[in-house]
Amino acid sequence: MGTAPNAGGGPNRGAAGARSADLTSIVVAFARALRERGVPVTPAESADAVRALDAVDVRDRDEVRLALRAVLALRVEDYAVFDDVFAALFAAAADPGAPRVPRPRGAHASARAETEEALLARAAATPRPLSLAGWARPDAADDAEPLGIPAMSPHEALRRKDFSDFGAAELDEVTRVARRISRRLATRPSRRWKVVARGARVHMRRTLRQTLRTGGDPLVLAFRERKPRRNKLVLLCDVSGSMELYSRFLLQFLYAIQNAFARVETFVFATRLSRVTAELRGGPYAEALERLARSVQDWSGGTRIGACIAEFEAGWPRLVDRRTAVIVLSDGWDTGEPELLAGALARIRRRAGKLIWLNPLLGSPGYRPLTRGMQAALPHLDVFAPAHDLASLERLANIIGS
Amino acid sequence: MRDEIRRIQELMEREAYVADPAIATSVHLALQLGKPLLVEGPAGVGKTEIAKVLARALDTELIRLQCYEGLDASTALYEWNYPKQLLRIKLEESAPGTVAEKEAAIFSEPFLLRRPLLEAITRERAPVLLIDEIDRADEEFEAFLLEVLSDFQVTIPEIGTIRATHRPHVVLTSNRTRDLSDALRRRCLYLWIDYPSFEKELRIVRTKVDGLDERLAAQITGFLQSLRRMGLSKAPGVAETLDWARALAALHAAHLDEALVRETLGCLIKDEGDLRRVQEELAAGRLTALAG
Repeated sequence: MGTAPNAGGGPNRGAAGARSADLTSIVVAFARALRERGVPVTPAESADAVRALDAVDVRDRDEVRLALRAVLALRVEDYAVFDDVFAALFAAAADPGAPRVPRPRGAHASARAETEEALLARAAATPRPLSLAGWARPDAADDAEPLGIPAMSPHEALRRKDFSDFGAAELDEVTRVARRISRRLATRPSRRWKVVARGARVHMRRTLRQTLRTGGDPLVLAFRERKPRRNKLVLLCDVSGSMELYSRFLLQFLYAIQNAFARVETFVFATRLSRVTAELRGGPYAEALERLARSVQDWSGGTRIGACIAEFEAGWPRLVDRRTAVIVLSDGWDTGEPELLAGALARIRRRAGKLIWLNPLLGSPGYRPLTRGMQAALPHLDVFAPAHDLASLERLANIIGS
Repeated sequence: MRDEIRRIQELMEREAYVADPAIATSVHLALQLGKPLLVEGPAGVGKTEIAKVLARALDTELIRLQCYEGLDASTALYEWNYPKQLLRIKLEESAPGTVAEKEAAIFSEPFLLRRPLLEAITRERAPVLLIDEIDRADEEFEAFLLEVLSDFQVTIPEIGTIRATHRPHVVLTSNRTRDLSDALRRRCLYLWIDYPSFEKELRIVRTKVDGLDERLAAQITGFLQSLRRMGLSKAPGVAETLDWARALAALHAAHLDEALVRETLGCLIKDEGDLRRVQEELAAGRLTALAG
């Protein structure tokens, strides 16, 4: 940590050795309290906080608050916790009997921590025994249905058609398409350059060096081209009752992509959101399904798309950046508030490279995306495409690659 | 309040920037601790303005690096002037000297094109370096920037290491289209600027727009405050407030009414869906601040 050119030692440093020690102990207590509430504070920031207090009027409570906040709360999401801790610490300073550290992890703990806790709690709860293993056998009869809640979608008849005869060969095809999509994802060009033997772009600096050796004539051209760019994929798959028929097919797809491509995160949702990246990874498909059944609690219930997408958006903000394609697989049959869905999608789209919604119903002739959920979602999508058969997934490979 | 902070507040207000204590304290600390100031907040709340006003208040130069997707290190730091280099090679084709000597000659300072970051660390007097909309640059660029902001030195293979003579005062802004890395945040002091309160926005309007009726200024501010509560997809910022206020001042409006708002709504609302929603609200008489 270098000294600033104009920090110049601070005006009060010489006379204030004792005060500085006081400030240090205040900052140390404060940093500890923040860490307990999930706001990470490093020693370097603590040191800066002491310097910051030295540069303000420590008798002015608000100035102290603003100074500490500028140094210790490094994102606006931390402001609420910060103010909480600050208020508690100052109350404690005024009344020595009061506890010095505010209550642990309350309502303001970071959204991600909450979601993770919720997930852990859910994983620890007694799992509802539900076998998805039948889905791994494409010839299993549909009447061996593990799914108790009736479908909500009114397009029952239409959907039956395109998946009634889904055989083992097609499942292999799904895997093949998933591999193709993964390859597409892996080979998009990035902004970075590398030197290549022959290419479309001239590497000027290198060419000039070589030109010197030939007395000024650029006889040998050096080339450069873009390094491949590392893209990521986030899949959010609806497994509610109305998606039941497609779920078998889509889970196979999720499993195949998860295992063909490293940078994929997979979530499934119905009324709640579950991250299933780890469950899908590795082993045969049947085992992956078993792991899924153990950890995901609400297969084929009703749908709360908006709440689930919002939970994803708030809970896993780091998963989405400009190199991430976010794909929602759902029929858009939402029983929640459409505004919630629209808001969450708008926020995701601002951060994501691409926001794609695949709707199995879109493959049915005559289907119009008129549900309230779908209507709310449409303005925020980059791509709205069908996902009811293999041809539509093939097209997805091209969409993502473009 | 510390005198230095009050002075900063006064300096910024003299430049027609309404600085609340949070802004003034952050700027003061950035100067005192010599750390970059990262300013986040919605579009149009005056993030970029901080750097501009600071440069004027310190009476120093403002060097601006506008970020965009695909911005790379060479565009931000330095490039070689290839045409000039080629010309020199041609001119000295038959001149004596070894290849190594000629190479050293063309890869030297006179052939260097300084881009904002290199400019900022080689000035005689510490400038204000504005790194605008850092969230629009790629993550690779962020990592590169982090290096420059830690060491304030740049190594050019052909020339050597250039160290900052005076550290620039760095202001970074972000509209949060993506999350910035923790590493970058830790290098900076952080300031979140939200949409201003009614009182603050009214002060801004009155500071920045001449010839505006008192009551109209309050109505304009109240209307904007209620628009922002509607949850529009592109909520109007302070910049839009000022545009609108200036337009109304030019029209010599005395007070707001529905017809006037309808005619001038284009200053405020730039999104078609938003426009429709606001017009519906207007028609239903649900937007406040029109009555008074």
